[in-house]
Amino acid sequence: MSSTRRRVEYEIVKRLVGPALMQVDHAQRRVKSLRKRAAKPAGPFGPPLESVRKLKELMTRHYLEGRYADGAVPVAWVTSGFPVEVLRPLGYHAVYPENHAALCGVQRVVPHLSEATEEVGYARDLCSYARTDIGSVMLQETPVGRLPKPDLLCCCTNICQTVLYWYRSLAAHFQVPLVLIDPPFVYGEAKPHHRQFVRDQLDELLVVAARVAKRRAPSMDEIVGVTKLAREGTRLWGECLAESRNKPAPWTGIDGFFHIAPIVTLRGTAECNAYYRQLRDELRHRVAQGIGGVREEKHRLLWDNLPIWFDVRGMSTLLAEHGFNFVCTSYTNAWAEAGSRIDPADPLGSAVFAYTDIILNQDLGKRFGTLARLAEEYSCDGAVLHSDRSCKPYSIGQLDLKQRLAKQLDIKVMVLEADHGDPRAYAVEQGHGRLTAFMESFS
Amino acid sequence: MRSAYVQRQREEHGRKSIVVLPVHYPKEILTAMDVLAVELWGPPGAPRGPEAGRLQAYVCAVVRNALAFLAGGHADVVDAALFPHTCDSVQGLATLVTDFGGWSKPSFVFQHPKGPTRASVRKYLVAELRSLADGLATLTGRPLDVAELRAAIRLHRTIDEVKTRILEGRGRLATSDRELYATLRRGEWLWPEEHLEELRVLERQLPEAGAPARKGVPLFVTGYVPEPMSILDALDEVGAYVARDDWAAIGRRVVTPARALDLEGDPFETLAALYYEAPQCPTRSLDQAGRLQRLLALYDQSGARGVIVHEPKFCEPEAFDVPAIRKAFGERGVPLLYLETELETELAGQTTTRLEAFVEMVGARRVA
Ligand code: SF4
Ligand code: SF4
Repeated sequence: MSSTRRRVEYEIVKRLVGPALMQVDHAQRRVKSLRKRAAKPAGPFGPPLESVRKLKELMTRHYLEGRYADGAVPVAWVTSGFPVEVLRPLGYHAVYPENHAALCGVQRVVPHLSEATEEVGYARDLCSYARTDIGSVMLQETPVGRLPKPDLLCCCTNICQTVLYWYRSLAAHFQVPLVLIDPPFVYGEAKPHHRQFVRDQLDELLVVAARVAKRRAPSMDEIVGVTKLAREGTRLWGECLAESRNKPAPWTGIDGFFHIAPIVTLRGTAECNAYYRQLRDELRHRVAQGIGGVREEKHRLLWDNLPIWFDVRGMSTLLAEHGFNFVCTSYTNAWAEAGSRIDPADPLGSAVFAYTDIILNQDLGKRFGTLARLAEEYSCDGAVLHSDRSCKPYSIGQLDLKQRLAKQLDIKVMVLEADHGDPRAYAVEQGHGRLTAFMESFS
Repeated sequence: MRSAYVQRQREEHGRKSIVVLPVHYPKEILTAMDVLAVELWGPPGAPRGPEAGRLQAYVCAVVRNALAFLAGGHADVVDAALFPHTCDSVQGLATLVTDFGGWSKPSFVFQHPKGPTRASVRKYLVAELRSLADGLATLTGRPLDVAELRAAIRLHRTIDEVKTRILEGRGRLATSDRELYATLRRGEWLWPEEHLEELRVLERQLPEAGAPARKGVPLFVTGYVPEPMSILDALDEVGAYVARDDWAAIGRRVVTPARALDLEGDPFETLAALYYEAPQCPTRSLDQAGRLQRLLALYDQSGARGVIVHEPKFCEPEAFDVPAIRKAFGERGVPLLYLETELETELAGQTTTRLEAFVEMVGARRVA
């Protein structure tokens, strides 16, 4: 199919079909929710957030556009911590395999996709995000209909080294260029040559991304424009999270896991920011009205590590029934913190800091500092550290962190062994039993 | 830990020593600064103490055992620790023991880059090498002398050349795998000149080129580290031997540059050039296709009849390449056995049975 025709299709979906489908979807959902509301009691949660509808719209549209993106616009597959601001002015459609894998986790299709990878020799111990996405590529199956083929793979090791091995395999499969931004891990303070290295790699990225997109390198004005949007988006996201410092918190930490999707996948776009403005305003309104995410908030918890995507609903219900809420999570907070370092006056210079000094790329002393600060700022009286079999960089050190948090903050802390995506690695009943025992220890 | 040896090195040569985590690091700089490197691949066996419990059971045993070893005081004879930027687990260990307890002596990191030879990477690598040398100077109390670094590079080049000849001639060498690999692995802690002497002794045992091949079924092994070493005995018992290896600890660290190196210029640049001449390793390279090509070429040169992919459990860098390795050899009809062994325990009976069946199958193919 010609690229012009693909482009026309893509533009139609982007400008007409997507919004129209959203309208239909919106109408259907409203009818459904009215029926539901009439039939179902509210349960242990506060009233659902209105913004959820908009979130679903945004993300559905993003994936819908993706189906028509390859051949129409350049497509990049991007790790969550990648400086995407450089790609946006070049017209890239960015696909976030981690976000896609999270979605597969929620829909419980990870075992099916992962089995395909295991059959060809991928070990079940590997990160389930990677197994899920590689499985999805191998089987050409995805709950979002279709993922566009990448023209460029963009990998940043500021979250882990796993993405490097994972993208290396993708590069071999798709036979497309792989660009790597490799910010050295920060022990104490980053050395000047470490920062310079990141800066040099950003400069190289501009050239490669432009070459693959067959466009001229973006001008500084264009980068500044996107950077401003990204900065604003992360600020707004931070404001949404900060509303949970209020008592009761106007939403649950589990809600936050879902609402993080735009700042990961649409960072640097106007839609992303419009969405977070709406969400923030809604949260502020709830605070003013005294509406909590949990109906009767008795205890406030901190969550560390990725969510258990396939059990977020079950777990949050269990907690809410006991009056517990995860009012903050190190995971969702990471997106607000990293972005706060972005400075539109010096987009590339500040990107060096924003993309190097993130929680997973820093030593455990700093990680402890972040957790302790969050626990205090959000008035937590307990913490759950998710020891995630699939994510070693996030999980190493948690057993020490547990002791320190408990001792220094005088709060109750538990470590919960699970997996962020693969239900085969976590016995839900047993996990809930442990959580229940933990909650009982508060009384 | 080779405590007595380390102690002697200190007493007889006034040498500092440094415990080094796997895999890649510029040993030449340590040699030039008169610092003995003592590598810590676990160590194998049960963890030496309860501190391994500070890490979850799904973290590789190399790192869990290293934590127990360091935090249990078993490495206290050395003066410092060096953590290369190998993987998330070594990175995590480096911050865990230094920030949360377990290692209170000086510690250094060598954050080698992961990317291909781009201008930024090369420039960074040189700066990182210099930075490591500057850091080590605080340990030794004297700065690195470039002439000594050049000499150390030459010494390590000679070591690699001898190793290459031994490994290439392995099919003619009567020595058992256990003896051969024990000698090669002594380089993990011996002073390089002593190691070279031992290698030369081994080299002298090499029969002339064209001499008949040694008895047994030749196999090619790719993997991480030959642990437990009893795997080599098991191979011997079932009538096979390692004709060539790509263990990260052994063959994958022997550098045979394709182009001439400038040994007289800036030695840091020479080290950077060497870095890119080194065999592809998933802990530092992006190029999977290049790695596969090398493995296939080594296999062909070795005359092996089958491949063993030998990995420790929970090793992400290694594990991600396994499907591609299976596929590459599978497409050529090469028999392949995937073996996952535990660093903490001896070889399971089941593993020996699998090895036996594999060698029998490969041997039968050869006859047919
Ligand atoms: S290992 Fe952890 S940080 Fe890395 S991709 Fe998997 S979940 Fe993300
Ligand atoms: S075995 Fe693998 S995961 Fe463990 S330290 Fe070595 S490279 Fe890292």
